[in-house]
Amino acid sequence: MINTIPIHYYIFLSAILFIIGAVGVMARRNAIIIFMCIELMLNAVNLLLAAFATLHNDSSGQIFVFFIMAVAAAEVAVGLAILSMIYRNIKSIDVDLLSRLKE
Amino acid sequence: MKALFIISGLGILAMLAEIFKFKRALYPLVLIGILAALVANFTEFNNNESIQAFNNMIRFDNVALAFSSVILITAFLWFILANDYFTNETSLTDHFSLVLFALTGALMLTAFSNMTTLFLGIEILSIPLYVLAASKKNDVKSNEAGFKYLIMGSFASAFLLFGIALIYGATGTFDLLAIRAKISEGMPLFFYAGIIMMLIAMCFKVSAAPFHFWAPDVYHGSPTVIMALMSTVVKTAAFVAFMRLFLVGFGSATSVWAMAMAGIIALSLIISNMTAAAQSSVKRMLAYSSISHAAFMLMGILAVNPIYSMRAILYYALAYSVATIGGFTVLYRVEKQSGNTYDDFNGLAKRNPFAALGMLICMLSLAGIPVTAGFFAKYFIFTALIGSTYKWLLVLAVIMSCVGVYYYIKVIIAMYFKKPTHQEPLLIEKSHTLLLAIAVVLVLVLGLLPNFVLSV
Amino acid sequence: MVKLIGFVPLFPLLGFLINGFFGKKMSKGAVGFIACASILASFVVSLLIFLEVHNSSAQKATVVELFSWINSDTLKIPFSFLVDPLSCLFLLNITGIGFLIHVYSVGYMHDDAGFSRFFTYLNLFVFFMLLLVLGNNYALMYVGWEGVGLCSYLLIGFWFKNDAYNRAANKAFIMNRIGDLGFLLGIILIFMNFGSISFGEVFNKASSVSTGTITAISLFLFIGAMGKSAQLPLYTWLPDAMAGPTPVSALIHAATMVTAGIYMVVRSNIFYSISATASEFVAVVGAVTALFAALIGLLQTDIKKILAYSTVSQLGLMFLALGVGAYSSAVFHVTTHAFFKALLFLGAGSVIHAMGGEQDIRKMGGLKKALPVTFTTMLLGTLAISGVPPFSGFFSKDEILAHTYEHSKLLWLIGSLASLCTAFYMFRLMFITFWGSFRGTHEQEHHLHESPKSMTVPLMVLAALSVVGGLLGLPEFFGASNFMSENLDTVILRKNPSILSHETEWMLMGIAVAVALSTIYFAYQMFVTHKVLPAEKESEMKSFQRVVYHKFYVDELYESMIRKPIDLISEAFYKFFDVQIIDGIVNGIGTVSMWKAGIIRKLQTGHIGFYIMAMTVGALTILFFSLMN
Repeated sequence: MINTIPIHYYIFLSAILFIIGAVGVMARRNAIIIFMCIELMLNAVNLLLAAFATLHNDSSGQIFVFFIMAVAAAEVAVGLAILSMIYRNIKSIDVDLLSRLKE
Repeated sequence: MKALFIISGLGILAMLAEIFKFKRALYPLVLIGILAALVANFTEFNNNESIQAFNNMIRFDNVALAFSSVILITAFLWFILANDYFTNETSLTDHFSLVLFALTGALMLTAFSNMTTLFLGIEILSIPLYVLAASKKNDVKSNEAGFKYLIMGSFASAFLLFGIALIYGATGTFDLLAIRAKISEGMPLFFYAGIIMMLIAMCFKVSAAPFHFWAPDVYHGSPTVIMALMSTVVKTAAFVAFMRLFLVGFGSATSVWAMAMAGIIALSLIISNMTAAAQSSVKRMLAYSSISHAAFMLMGILAVNPIYSMRAILYYALAYSVATIGGFTVLYRVEKQSGNTYDDFNGLAKRNPFAALGMLICMLSLAGIPVTAGFFAKYFIFTALIGSTYKWLLVLAVIMSCVGVYYYIKVIIAMYFKKPTHQEPLLIEKSHTLLLAIAVVLVLVLGLLPNFVLSV
Repeated sequence: MVKLIGFVPLFPLLGFLINGFFGKKMSKGAVGFIACASILASFVVSLLIFLEVHNSSAQKATVVELFSWINSDTLKIPFSFLVDPLSCLFLLNITGIGFLIHVYSVGYMHDDAGFSRFFTYLNLFVFFMLLLVLGNNYALMYVGWEGVGLCSYLLIGFWFKNDAYNRAANKAFIMNRIGDLGFLLGIILIFMNFGSISFGEVFNKASSVSTGTITAISLFLFIGAMGKSAQLPLYTWLPDAMAGPTPVSALIHAATMVTAGIYMVVRSNIFYSISATASEFVAVVGAVTALFAALIGLLQTDIKKILAYSTVSQLGLMFLALGVGAYSSAVFHVTTHAFFKALLFLGAGSVIHAMGGEQDIRKMGGLKKALPVTFTTMLLGTLAISGVPPFSGFFSKDEILAHTYEHSKLLWLIGSLASLCTAFYMFRLMFITFWGSFRGTHEQEHHLHESPKSMTVPLMVLAALSVVGGLLGLPEFFGASNFMSENLDTVILRKNPSILSHETEWMLMGIAVAVALSTIYFAYQMFVTHKVLPAEKESEMKSFQRVVYHKFYVDELYESMIRKPIDLISEAFYKFFDVQIIDGIVNGIGTVSMWKAGIIRKLQTGHIGFYIMAMTVGALTILFFSLMN
């Protein structure tokens, strides 16, 4: 497969996915969507790693993907816990309401 | 190497303490454990046999041992500072294990030699911190701090990973030394993009401008002791990682990242010092000043001098951590009594002369006034950088350190030259007095005998 | 004996530690004893070392290495002391006068609540000052330099309940930081060019570096000296520093710390000998400062402020000497100045003590009878500073002016004018304070008393030194040997033998004496015979002018020809330089950083979206520029 589709296509695809995710983090106000956008960015990386692993015929890239998936899961678990705490305190998950700390 | 096992073992032990009901014994156990880890570090020093492990993904060479010792010493002092954080809180064992796991991550970052362990180290360090920052459950500010840290931290991690992926794509390996060997062969453009993306992510972790926005807010919102942990142990760990990555891994590709780093340093110096000067809260001032110190340490990396950079950063990290812990000890007590603005420090020399003297010395050290450790810290950084092409940065740094003197001296003025706004004396418990004394002695000893560290 | 040099700074350090840790628990007597004894002990050691160095014929300079201080690959700085005639002389000055002032302080500070704190700071100050003088490299000198600055700061703000005093302390600190920055840059330049900062190595290689570099180094070092030794335009902190207790003014702001700049320039004299530009700059700054400060001194009414401006002026004279290459004359004047200025400050302290804290000379008068010892000793000091023979100040000042005359007639004229003003305002101070009738409150008059023994004995010792101090440097054509210049022979690399004929020297000396004496007579006429008093306020000045208009020709002359222009100039300098420019600059730095901070602070909005956006924009910018390259 890698022989038919040039590696640059994978790089561009992941870059586009990554940018979509980043824009989402910037633009969205709902905290859950922001988490999903970060997941999208991480998945862009996973795609890239898998493609490179195949290109180099090296399994370590694919193993790295597992690490990323595990860590991302941990991150989201912590994030959702914090989010539920915030919801309990301010009854909202709109990130624009979270600007008490400044200056 | 053994230190890593001891600390992670302690973390697991802390989780078991809830089940097997030895919560009381946990605190002394942790202190003993850290000391044991320190001793283990010393025995491994200059011992070339057992430096690598996990398929050469971790290398506990002398540099790693020195930095992990600095981290362990700071952590030990921090545990003394935070003693009532662990006695008053309800979920005691959780906090213990979270801090210990963060510490495990920090130790990993001192010794990684593969980008997999770099990534894991950073995440093991960060995830417990997200929780700790948000640990005041009913305080919205604390929640906000944790949330902001998490979102922006994950965002930065994504950059880091994208950078790793690109570099892996160009070189076919995650191993730092292998990457270093391949750089000379000529690399595609996306390899350099990868380096820059990793630079950005690391700058976020050490809170350099313009990736520093999270730091003041997170520091301010977190409990004060957690802020002390973040600005000492975590910062040191992030710097070692930064240093290993860029000096060992990308040391021969300086043309790509050095200019960008110089710009980041200049921006950080200006923004942090100017903003710190305008703060009315000592806690926030320290948050901004920690950004300024980060910029100074980055200058050490920018010097790209294998021996000099490492020593300068090691000395700076130790001097900075010790003085910061000392400063936080006093801040912590003052904050508990009244608050954390400059006015709360008014007349501290009358209310508690010893605390005021300790704070004075720590502030002088942070400001870089001679005979204290802080002076030599800056001095070594400057001498490391003087041979590079970035001499203009040196001039800016000297000017900005003068601005720095202004806001540190403000604390001293408040303590010594202003009438107390609160009349009652400031009480400090024995353990904190001891801690402050240790910090002050270390600051002065490091200042008088800088060789002690440099001989490493 | 020389090997024992480590003990010289060790004693004050021990005194500092003991008083610092246990001072609160000990009686005042014990605290005072420890403080004085520690300085006396270092004085004794210094004296023995001085004699040994002076008597040894061969080896004049010895480097004593205590321990290895910094030892990295490219930089090795041992913690070592340099014992040579120059540092020995300063050691004697510091410990000797320091001891007298410590003894005096025991009496002066006796009722102060911060008694032990005061001696703790004072001992620490002496320690750093000794470090500054003894250090064998610029790094150690810098440590001492910063240390004395810190102690000075702590002591100026000693009575910290007063806000004005705190401001004075802050001003001193900021001014000194500006100077220190120059000094630091100088040291960095030295290190970059010579690869070392040890005196011996640097001075040996000095001629191998281009003159431009040497000029830059000398100028940077001089900026440091300008801050510490209160030269134009960084001088205004010194008059404000009078907020501290009077013994502090005597020790730090007259006899020792402010001469650190002179010491540094003398120590680095090889640089200044190479760079004519830098020397010329030093001379001009010194001369102009000497005159400016003396002019401002003419109108001051606070007894300590007068002495402060006089110190600035005298320091200017010393820099003038350095600038024209008369290094040993400058050191000579440092020594005699330390004697008589310490004496005058301590005498002023004794007056203030007797007056219950009053510092305004208009509220004094006729103190001659109540304070006989203070009066006599201060009179001797005043004669010395005014340059009346055969008192010490005459010889040192004359030597400086003779060398200046040789170098440039214009600078000589400025220097002579400055010493004319000095004689005038010093005698104005004496006449108004000690002659005439008492003008204070009844209560104060009742309270008038001579100070205790612990205060008057140091006065007497210093008075004796002020009288005979001139023996240290008799002019060569007197036939005697000039001890000062011979002693410093080995340290100073460019000798400055006088090329003036004896006739010219006699003439210059004659002019100086005539000017001094006639000025004193003039002041006597004004302030004693005609009882002219400085006006209380500006509004009263006009009625005062009308009153004196018909009085006497002398008054008229003074009024129209001297007083009015001087008033204007003095006022102008004070208002313009002190208030506008200097304060303006200092406040300006603060304002600018605040203003910028205001903008930057707004960036911290608290919104995550904005933060992430800023990060992304930063990331894209860096990516773009890095990959373009």
